[in-house]
Amino acid sequence: MNARLLALLPAAIAINLVIGGLVNALGLPLYLDSIGTILATVLAGPAVGVLAGAIGQLLFGLINGYQWIPFGLIQVVIALLAGLAASRAGFRGTGRSLAWGLLTGLVAGALSSVISYVLFKGVTATGTTAVVTVLRQLGWSLPAAVTASSLALDLVDKAVAFAVVGALVRSLPNRLIGRFPRAARAVGR
Amino acid sequence: MTLPPGAPASRAHPFTPLVLTLAVAVAVVSAPGPAAAAVLYGATILGVLAAGAGRAALRALVPLAPLWLFLFLLHGVLGEGDRIVMAGVSLSRDGLALAATQACRLGAIATASLALYAAFSPARFVDAVAARGWPFALSYLVVATLLALPRFRARAAAILEAQRSRGLRLQGNPFRRARALAPVTFPLLLGALAEVDERGFALETRCASGVTRRTPLDPPRDSVTDRAVRWLAGLAAAAMVCWRVLT
Amino acid sequence: MSALQLEGVGFTYPGAPAPALRRCSLRADGGAVTWLMGALGAGTSTALLVAAGLAPRHTGGERTGTVLTLGLDPATPSSATALGGRVALVLPSPATQLSGIAETVAQEVAFAPANLGWPRGRIHEGVAGALAALDIAHLAHRDPGTLSGGEMQRIVIAAMLVLQPELWLLDEPTSALDAAGRAILHRLMRSEAARGAAVVIASEDADGLAGVADRLVVFEEGRPVLDRRPDVLLRGGEVWAAGAGSTTIAELSRATGEAEPRPLTVEEGVARWTR
Repeated sequence: MNARLLALLPAAIAINLVIGGLVNALGLPLYLDSIGTILATVLAGPAVGVLAGAIGQLLFGLINGYQWIPFGLIQVVIALLAGLAASRAGFRGTGRSLAWGLLTGLVAGALSSVISYVLFKGVTATGTTAVVTVLRQLGWSLPAAVTASSLALDLVDKAVAFAVVGALVRSLPNRLIGRFPRAARAVGR
Repeated sequence: MTLPPGAPASRAHPFTPLVLTLAVAVAVVSAPGPAAAAVLYGATILGVLAAGAGRAALRALVPLAPLWLFLFLLHGVLGEGDRIVMAGVSLSRDGLALAATQACRLGAIATASLALYAAFSPARFVDAVAARGWPFALSYLVVATLLALPRFRARAAAILEAQRSRGLRLQGNPFRRARALAPVTFPLLLGALAEVDERGFALETRCASGVTRRTPLDPPRDSVTDRAVRWLAGLAAAAMVCWRVLT
Repeated sequence: MSALQLEGVGFTYPGAPAPALRRCSLRADGGAVTWLMGALGAGTSTALLVAAGLAPRHTGGERTGTVLTLGLDPATPSSATALGGRVALVLPSPATQLSGIAETVAQEVAFAPANLGWPRGRIHEGVAGALAALDIAHLAHRDPGTLSGGEMQRIVIAAMLVLQPELWLLDEPTSALDAAGRAILHRLMRSEAARGAAVVIASEDADGLAGVADRLVVFEEGRPVLDRRPDVLLRGGEVWAAGAGSTTIAELSRATGEAEPRPLTVEEGVARWTR
């Protein structure tokens, strides 16, 4: 592994965890724990993004409980989709970023609800679990409630995350973008 | 959370708590019902106490409490199947059993993970991996990330403070709070990228990406007890899986 | 053979409108301290990155001409391995040069030797010597992240010194250092040169380096334009024409309209102005 990746990966993972923690502290109903993964993918390719997401989720599980580790699969999916977006200049503008983010949110949300239901029968993140409980009160079945709450949250979350990364990379000076040729392609330069 | 000096967990070889925590996770997820899960949760608490990391059991209750409450509501109160009545509330019998199993699973996993985090020593871990001759990148990534977290958190807090003194509002409705994100995340991300550049130069110059086997500076002792504990934990977890699969 | 040889080197950063180095030719020999000075954007930092091979390997961009660092082209991956531990690079800001995994100063200084697979005894000896040379032995068990910028920079320098490199590349190494630290670094540069290493330093600190460097190379717009002994250049007017500067006393002398050759140090200034 070359020295640049050794420098990039810990930063990308820390970004995942710290921004996720910030969002939590602000009490917002979002995750935003994949910004580091998406950024690493845009800068260095999907393989690096997968590593960032996987190791990050492993460490998150180490710190907050192993029950979170299966969601690492979602980080992998996010990295792959972000890679696809980057290869097609998906971050060229806010609209495009949001669109790709929504697509990723759809896939991530579906996967997340499957994992949530299969492994935990619907109980993990306190935010989604609250929505699930409310929907159940309204008469929805457990699988339907879990799917709906997961999907809605993931759609918004990934759209915002993609938009943030797109805006950031577009705002980088030429000198910095030059060090990451993939990033230039991702924003359509 | 730090361990008291001389705690067995801090004297153990770094891989031992890792294997133990993994074994707990595998075993408790394989546990078939509330009784087995509860026994494993209890055993984990005892193990963590014996290792000198008892506070982890208490600390784990903080994230666990709301999850337990929701489990109870979601499966106990709103669950399907036969109902029983307790203290005037109608509860699902099967739901309660499910809730109890999940609660004990999450409890065991959270407790073991927190104890592991407390017992983890970056330098000893790097040395343990180096002593085995495994790739340096492996231990570097884990340790560099763990040590980067407090630095990034401090930086985020500093940026938050700086923006607050410039009039950024953090209270109020969700949309206002959401708007507070950009002025904090952008500087954080830009700073991180600039750092990545220079740190890459430094790591290259200091041969971090070389192929030579790294020298352990103070290799941790891998005692007979360590190896025995790891083997036993692995076998117990495997036995649990077999029991679950075969019954 | 020189420790560092740049022949007609051009370098352009990716997306940059103009080259950072143009037909730059420079030689630095072992046993001497070569001082590079130039205005912002003159190319001194880029010259060091090119010498280390980090430009273009890490930075991207295009390089023309020939670069030989310790006889090898540093931009090729095989040379990177061959040069490992033989070239030291010190950059201006210490915090970003730390390894990121060391919990004590001693571990930080031991980072590179351990990566190179040195035997433990040799590492411990080398670390003790390097810490003593930078006068930070008392910090050996401290957490590097809790120290001041000046202390961190000394740690970074010690972490390079422990390798006993053949070539030193220093880019504004004193911006984080206090006066005592600067004095230690200047002494270290002379002792390293005496040991046979080639020391190349890019710096605006004329006051500090006037008495330390053997050679002064002034850069302007991406190439060396002046190359002579420091006291000769610093006393004349060419340094100013090239966009660089001189010592504070020489500046003062120039500002008062005196003729060249100018005094460089406080002693010389006092001697001239109190005649």
